[in-house]
Amino acid sequence: MSKPAALRWGGRLITVLTIAGIGLVLLPYFWMVSSSLKTGSEVFELPIRWLPEHLQWANYPNALSRWSFGTYFLNSTVVAVAVMICNLLFCSLAGYGFAKFRFRFREAWFILVLCTLMLPLEIVLVPTYLVVRQLGLVDTYAGLIAPLAVDAFGIFLMRQYIRDLPDSLIEAARLDGCSEFGIFWRIILPNCKPALGALAILSFRDTWDQFLWPLIVVSKNALKTFPLGLAQMEGIDSAAYHEIMAVAVVGMLPAALIFLFFQRSFVRGIALSGVKE
Amino acid sequence: MSLRAGSRAIGDKSRIQSRRFWKGRPFHARLRTAGFLFVLPALLFLLIFKFLPMLDALRLSFFKYDLMSAPVFIGLQNYHTLWNNPLFHQAFWVSAKYMFGVSIPEWILALGLAILLNRRMPGRPLIRLAYFFPIAMSQIVVAMVWKFLYNPLGLVNNLLSYIGIDRVNWLSTEATALPALIAIGIWRGVPLFAVIYLAGLQSIPREYYEAARMDGAGPWQRFIHVTLPLLTPTILFIVVLSLISAMKVFLNPLVMTEGGPNGTTRVLPYFIYDTGFAYFRMGEAAAASMVLFCFVLGLTLIQLRLLRQGGPS
Amino acid sequence: MQRSFIALLSAALVPAILATPSLAQQKSITWWEHSNPPHNNYSQELVGEWNKKHPDNAVQYDFFAMTPYFKKLSVALSTKSAADMFTVVDSLLPSFTTKDVLAPIHIDWLGYKNLDDMKSAYLPGALDGYIHNGKLYAVPVVSATLSLYINSDHFKEAGLDPEKDYPKTWEDIGRIGQKLVKRQGKTITREGFDFAMHSAQWTMWYMEGLIRQYGGSILDASGTKCTANSDAGVKAMQTRAMYVRKYEISDPTVSVATAALPADDLAKGRVSMFITHAGSVAQFGPAAMQHIKVVPFPQVNPAKPVTVVYGFAIAVNPTIPEAKQKTVHELIRFIIQDPKGWYEKTAYPYPSANFLKLPGLEEARKTRYLDVFVKDISTGSFATRSPQFVEIADAMHRAMERVVLKGDDEKKSLDQACADINDALKQQ
Repeated sequence: MSKPAALRWGGRLITVLTIAGIGLVLLPYFWMVSSSLKTGSEVFELPIRWLPEHLQWANYPNALSRWSFGTYFLNSTVVAVAVMICNLLFCSLAGYGFAKFRFRFREAWFILVLCTLMLPLEIVLVPTYLVVRQLGLVDTYAGLIAPLAVDAFGIFLMRQYIRDLPDSLIEAARLDGCSEFGIFWRIILPNCKPALGALAILSFRDTWDQFLWPLIVVSKNALKTFPLGLAQMEGIDSAAYHEIMAVAVVGMLPAALIFLFFQRSFVRGIALSGVKE
Repeated sequence: MSLRAGSRAIGDKSRIQSRRFWKGRPFHARLRTAGFLFVLPALLFLLIFKFLPMLDALRLSFFKYDLMSAPVFIGLQNYHTLWNNPLFHQAFWVSAKYMFGVSIPEWILALGLAILLNRRMPGRPLIRLAYFFPIAMSQIVVAMVWKFLYNPLGLVNNLLSYIGIDRVNWLSTEATALPALIAIGIWRGVPLFAVIYLAGLQSIPREYYEAARMDGAGPWQRFIHVTLPLLTPTILFIVVLSLISAMKVFLNPLVMTEGGPNGTTRVLPYFIYDTGFAYFRMGEAAAASMVLFCFVLGLTLIQLRLLRQGGPS
Repeated sequence: MQRSFIALLSAALVPAILATPSLAQQKSITWWEHSNPPHNNYSQELVGEWNKKHPDNAVQYDFFAMTPYFKKLSVALSTKSAADMFTVVDSLLPSFTTKDVLAPIHIDWLGYKNLDDMKSAYLPGALDGYIHNGKLYAVPVVSATLSLYINSDHFKEAGLDPEKDYPKTWEDIGRIGQKLVKRQGKTITREGFDFAMHSAQWTMWYMEGLIRQYGGSILDASGTKCTANSDAGVKAMQTRAMYVRKYEISDPTVSVATAALPADDLAKGRVSMFITHAGSVAQFGPAAMQHIKVVPFPQVNPAKPVTVVYGFAIAVNPTIPEAKQKTVHELIRFIIQDPKGWYEKTAYPYPSANFLKLPGLEEARKTRYLDVFVKDISTGSFATRSPQFVEIADAMHRAMERVVLKGDDEKKSLDQACADINDALKQQ
């Protein structure tokens, strides 16, 4: 059944506008990359300069060589990947437990989990530091990772998603003699890809971002993370913004990579009830 | 790998054992234990690294603690001081304004974006990819780039000058600083919530739309009578999440405006951070964080109640 | 597929995490500083030299971004996990000294007979900011002051001689600024003069200068009551705000300054006159400095100059054993033994009494305004000493913002600031 012409053109217009909207959404990125390749004085030029006169590729090695950015980068990556994996594992386990099982005080435990979501880490910085110090984890990777290893948001997300998975799948597996963990690993997880993908990206990104916690818990230069390095760039001589943007672009790459790796699962959209689009 | 093939791979012995497990009363007990065991690792981490520190903060709220001397018990005095502290009230309202200023547009715009991205379009995966990409951008980079864009000589003013709007110092003018931050919050949150909405939209079976169309329902009516009701759990999930995340926002004001001008962007977490670490009044900061906590928890519990009532589970 | 990838990754990570770089206790001295190049570079050089001579007492030097550094320091001091020695800014010292988290400096271990002996080796008042209850708690490494920087090109363009016609009083700035300001229609495209607006610390520095020049002070003599809303305070605030409204040479919305680059407007030629610190000379670089001249901090009464100094100093952790404290003092002596080196490498003058008489500084005195800085440092006094310094600074900053950005009445705004400050002082 063909649509009337007006509707077709209206639809095309919406498509065009949607594509145009991309420009708006990605404009800050474009500006970031463009500025990273400008000279210091081009950055704030009036009238506005969209593209640099000559691409200042040298900004990148210049900026990155000032401090041990290689180390900071590595540290941030290690910590972010570790936290991402911990979150993927523990949050999906817990999400499954909360979604599909009944056990004593389940609601109370869940409220407790939610409670930990209410206060940002920055506010409970000192007590958290004391706990970490008690465990002897100051100035270690484990100390950087542990408080972030489980994010209640992830549990919330996984629970929400798993709740919508049909119970029949689980019942059938049980009847077939599958162990509980087996059900989780073979049935639940593969069906959670969109939620897992989103969780992976978010926990990676949020860990990469952490500034105050690494500042407090780490002092050795060998363990500093990327945001600490980025913050140190402030206070340099007048021509710094183009270099700061260069460092920011590089700092964006790991999260972008993780995003590209995991995005297939929710960009193409795997609908739960198996209905094709 | 299909369900049956997978379980068959486990073998006869375990099947016999499992069958024995799944008979009678031990079945339910087994499930209860299993459920709890699934939840346990996460619970342990949260208890030690999040809940314990929060309890400590509660304890500290009854003490006078300047970080370096020993804490001194003063009962409810911190709460009393807070109540009389105009900066606290200002921070509370700034947070409330930010919270709703960011969340409400997010609920609507994200849904709109999800619906748009759910349409058939050429190159749809790429378009979706482009719109979702801001999710990957780290907070500190967002803050630095936007600070840059909001600079009086920066991109925002430049673009606005094309439509004849005079130069505004967005981050240094009382009237515009908070809205400027809110705009960033929305820009950042919409893609993420659009993803969640999209997943929700895709789980609505086509048949319902077909049935509605055959009943003569137009697009708007289909939206009201099919989409919205079936999307309700997703909507409520997003409502809870967006409000909680907006309440915790702190890095943007810290990096971009340092709470100014004149405290108009000093959100409650920032107030707490300053009171504790800059003013060395940790007890009062702890008390303020307890207030923040109760407020957000209360809000969340209300929404969860609604979630339980509304929509299919 | 994704799951196996993740499993593999975690398997690879576990040994990486468990094998954390061996950060076990080495026999070394730890030194923390805030981020401030080229100062950090010089510190690292000194550390390198020391480590060569004292391999048994090697120094582990680390530095951190400025503002969060002091938060980190506070947390570390409170949990007794701070470095053996650390650099502090003078304004935060009272927060630490009143809480007994700093070790008093052993004057004799630095080679002086007593405190007076040490004071005589420094410029007058240079140590005052670090003395509490008669004891010295930190040894200065950087001494800085605020001075007036002018764009000599702009002066010449307007037919003025930057050598002779530069402003000496605040009113001078207003008058001269009117000849330098550039407009396009009603908008100012090049300011005649402006103050830095980005940080409460800077606001405190120049407001202190202004109030003291008018004969007042922010706190009363006992440090328990706010006197910023006195006549002197109101006059100071009026002076602060007059460039916006009375002389119309200043427009806060035009500034591109940020916390990282507070003097950027000056470097980019968007303002003709600006007040900033001595380190800006090095930050601008010789190319920009060709267009800029530094003159003394403006005065209400040039015959009786009153200026503000601030500085960074090294303090010692009281929880380390005495033997180690002695070594730390030796290290400090080593660090400050070459004032000329400090200046040449960091562009910050060192406040030793004989600084200007040191050989080899003649060129600096001619081309890098050393005379100006040292003169202002000698007439300078430190900002208000108070454990509540940050709250006081924030209150003053808000008061300034209300007046300058919103046009509030100066007395009302200062009354509000005093209410805030008195509240804060009550919390002691």
